[in-house]
Amino acid sequence: MSPIIATLIQIVFILLIAPLAPGLVRFVKARLQGRKGASPFLSYITLLTLLRKEMVISDVTSWIFRVAPFVVLGSSIALAMILPLIFTGGSLAQLSDFLVVAGILVVGSIFLVLGGLDAGSAFGGMGSSREITIATLLEPVVILIFSTLSFMANSSTIDGILKSQINFSEPYLLLSVIALILVALAENARYPVDNPATHLELTMVHEAMVLEYSGKYLALLEYASAIKLTVFSVLIANFLFPATLLNAFSWSAGNLLGAVFLAVMKIIVIMIGLAFLESMIVKMRFYRMSEYFSIAFVVAFLAMLVALLSSYNDTPIKYYIIFSIFTVISVVLLFGRVRLKAILRYYAFSSLSIAAIALSLISMVRKEEIIHLWIFAIFTIITKVLAVPYVISHIGHAKKSLTNLPSFLRPGKSYFLAIILLMLIYFTLKNISIVGLTEWNALLYTAVALIVLGITMMIIKRNIFSQIVGLLVIENGIAVFVLATVGSLPLMIEFGIFGVTVATAYILAILSAQINDLYGSTDTDDLRELSE
Amino acid sequence: MNPIFIIIPFLIASLGSLFLKTEKQVGRINLFFSILGGGALIFYALPFGLHIRGKEISQWWLMDSFSALLVFLVAFIYIVTTIISTRYIGHEYEEKIINLHQYKLYFALFQMFVLCMILALATNNTLVLWLALEGTTLFSTFLVGLYRKKTSIEAAWKYMILCSTGISLGLVGILLLGYGAHEAGLSGENIFSIHALMESSQAIPHDVIKLAFIFLFIGFGTKVGLAPMHNWLPDAHSKAPSPISAIFSAILLNIALYAILRFKFIADSAFSDPSWTNNLFLIFGFFSIILSALMMLIQTNYKRMLAYSSIEHMGLILFSLGLSPIGAMAAVMHMIGHTFIKSTLFFGAGEILIQWKSTKVEKIKNMLMRARYTSALFILGILAIIAIPPSALFMSEYGMFSQAIAIYPILAIIIFIALGIIAYAMLALTINMIFATEKIEDNIEYKKERWNITHTIMTVELIIVAILAMWFTTSGGINIINNIVKDFLFIK
Repeated sequence: MSPIIATLIQIVFILLIAPLAPGLVRFVKARLQGRKGASPFLSYITLLTLLRKEMVISDVTSWIFRVAPFVVLGSSIALAMILPLIFTGGSLAQLSDFLVVAGILVVGSIFLVLGGLDAGSAFGGMGSSREITIATLLEPVVILIFSTLSFMANSSTIDGILKSQINFSEPYLLLSVIALILVALAENARYPVDNPATHLELTMVHEAMVLEYSGKYLALLEYASAIKLTVFSVLIANFLFPATLLNAFSWSAGNLLGAVFLAVMKIIVIMIGLAFLESMIVKMRFYRMSEYFSIAFVVAFLAMLVALLSSYNDTPIKYYIIFSIFTVISVVLLFGRVRLKAILRYYAFSSLSIAAIALSLISMVRKEEIIHLWIFAIFTIITKVLAVPYVISHIGHAKKSLTNLPSFLRPGKSYFLAIILLMLIYFTLKNISIVGLTEWNALLYTAVALIVLGITMMIIKRNIFSQIVGLLVIENGIAVFVLATVGSLPLMIEFGIFGVTVATAYILAILSAQINDLYGSTDTDDLRELSE
Repeated sequence: MNPIFIIIPFLIASLGSLFLKTEKQVGRINLFFSILGGGALIFYALPFGLHIRGKEISQWWLMDSFSALLVFLVAFIYIVTTIISTRYIGHEYEEKIINLHQYKLYFALFQMFVLCMILALATNNTLVLWLALEGTTLFSTFLVGLYRKKTSIEAAWKYMILCSTGISLGLVGILLLGYGAHEAGLSGENIFSIHALMESSQAIPHDVIKLAFIFLFIGFGTKVGLAPMHNWLPDAHSKAPSPISAIFSAILLNIALYAILRFKFIADSAFSDPSWTNNLFLIFGFFSIILSALMMLIQTNYKRMLAYSSIEHMGLILFSLGLSPIGAMAAVMHMIGHTFIKSTLFFGAGEILIQWKSTKVEKIKNMLMRARYTSALFILGILAIIAIPPSALFMSEYGMFSQAIAIYPILAIIIFIALGIIAYAMLALTINMIFATEKIEDNIEYKKERWNITHTIMTVELIIVAILAMWFTTSGGINIINNIVKDFLFIK
């Protein structure tokens, strides 16, 4: 059937379902918090009620105040029309160029900002200032994400990107989607960027701007934000499962029913996920927003780097390489830290990355080794992510003095040393040719880097706890080495090695507690009794 | 017989030590099971060692005359150390130096520690070998730090950190070797089987072998106490309870060396030329001897003196092995002799420590009067360790020098001088302890020393050493040593 009808169906569907999305989030959140919660369909009634209410408009406002709700709603509806939500190749699909999409988003937020400023109230101005800051920080990330995707899909429209049947064996896509989720949270004024449920002047962004609106205009603005939330959630789901989209040129009524059902399911699942997320985390301070967007930017940038490198090198960059990079980076970060808690956190993260490396190797090994990799990953998580950091921090926590671990080097110099070491290892490994190891180069490099960094850490850090962590890092390096060389060990041995790791951490932790009791400090410089 | 049965008496004794109520019961159960388990092990190992039974190789177990020799030594030292421990640790318990909890912990860990050593010797799997060696470190850390004093905890810390790091590097070597074997076409569990690696080492890429062997040598060499990695050894040996020092020095170092030798065979047969590994052995052996000679001169602590002497003897064994194949026979003799003599000396040191409560040489005066049996046996032990004939070490050092003079005359002379320095230093310290008289005013009343079980064991060990020296000169003895050497040494 014709693409025009397809686009019409899509817009009607989105307009109808939109108020359900914020209602669902509120409902699930209430349930999670132990309240009964209002019906998920309450938003429809709220909107209808608002439409019937009288408006109160300040005398000092200009035409901008009156135009803004229509422009904002218009931009949201435009998004719902051009983006591939149920159909690809709809009649307006050519318009879904990512620069156009970004432009529409910006027009919406600019008018929202102007509407907030226009009334001249203090809250409106504050919200507008915050909103425009966020929008500025957001813009480069959006462009980066979509330029990566369009580069790989050879098409600048989002429609084309989704049509090119991208798949997740390429790590850049996962990274892009993670960045897109971060962007979507900010764009829709959800946690941790904004709290949609309060009118607290310290925190509100979106609510501050619409504070002066009432009645029909407020209904329009609320409706616009509901549409935007729905559009973004369906879009992210479509990036994850591009096969669920219908082609606008060839579809039947049966197909359509299935697709609509899937779209509803996508919205419900994503809203439940959002509710879980919002129940677990808190809103960030506004001044930490730059960190949030730095993370989004770095993730998007990494995705672009990976995409460019894999198309430049012919050999695509696989997941295990990404996770190897994570492992090494977290050890380098650990290198410069002084707080025991932070060090253990980075250690746990690098162990987690090692487990992820093992899992990402699953697609490349023989069938009988898959189970070994699973066991390896699970036991790595149990022992190295949970048990070992717990044991050490438990004993370290009992002694308050242990929270700071002095080093012979300042953090800056430690990072510098770590980077020099990493470069040295790279050039050394390049000159050692071990037959056949080329295939797992990144893993080998990671293993050697971890071992060398662990040994260096034992030397330059003055604290016994850092020595424990150094030893554990060496053991992590050996774990990666196992993956790089022999792939998997016999089961009994694997258990034995994990047991040895935990036992080592336990014994060392007890010894260090005893040292702390006897010496009154954990500085290795004080361990000089045996210098005879 | 499946060697897995050997685990049972150790486990019973270990658990029994933890759960029995009184110190008497713990002592008895340990004595009973160590004589039972150790006796069974000796009974099991002797036929292999004397070449009455041939090699036995299965997927997990490997028993040839070399491992049988070491199993025999472990079992012997195990039995005598348990007997001494019941006296020594029992005495410290009575003196309230340690409490009942520590007493029980000591025996429980001690049993597991010995079990790990036996496992390391009996296994045919490189990874089990690694696990067992790491197990010896894990179980013995608290034995070193038993006294919960500043110094002993620090020694335990050093021991654990250095040995764990070293052994972790050894694991890298094992994995590399496994990888090389994988490349060479071995599959499945075979890439970690010592025997399979020995059989098919020719196909393993030489680069991989070299790299792997360096890792293994440095890693396990830390546990042997070779020169630049020796730091933990004097501390751990001097701060541990004396029976533990004895078992460390007499046998644990040899077991780490056993691991290196197994891999040396693989490397040598891969290159079909032992000179590369021999050179490594020569260099590290040489520097260990020189280092201990220099350190020996400034010692003021008799247990540290004995510890440095252990470094020296490990160096000598390594140097002899570097002079293979004839030097290897000297090395095996040296290993056997050193095990008996060094354990005797540490038992003697334990007796001195019990009586004087100090390990400082300057505090100990007039030993001849106050502890005549101990001092007589101790000085005999010192004479034996500096290789005065009829010590078994004289035979081995004679064998080594006759080789070394021919091949590396300059090194041989330097080592000879170093051994002279060591002999002088050890004798000077010991004579000072034994014959120096106290000032009249500190002359306190003391009881005359009674003959006790420690003295009996020391005497027995010294007699064994003398008999061994005779036996090494007979053709039967030479034959058996020769057979042992053939089992672990690659000969072109």
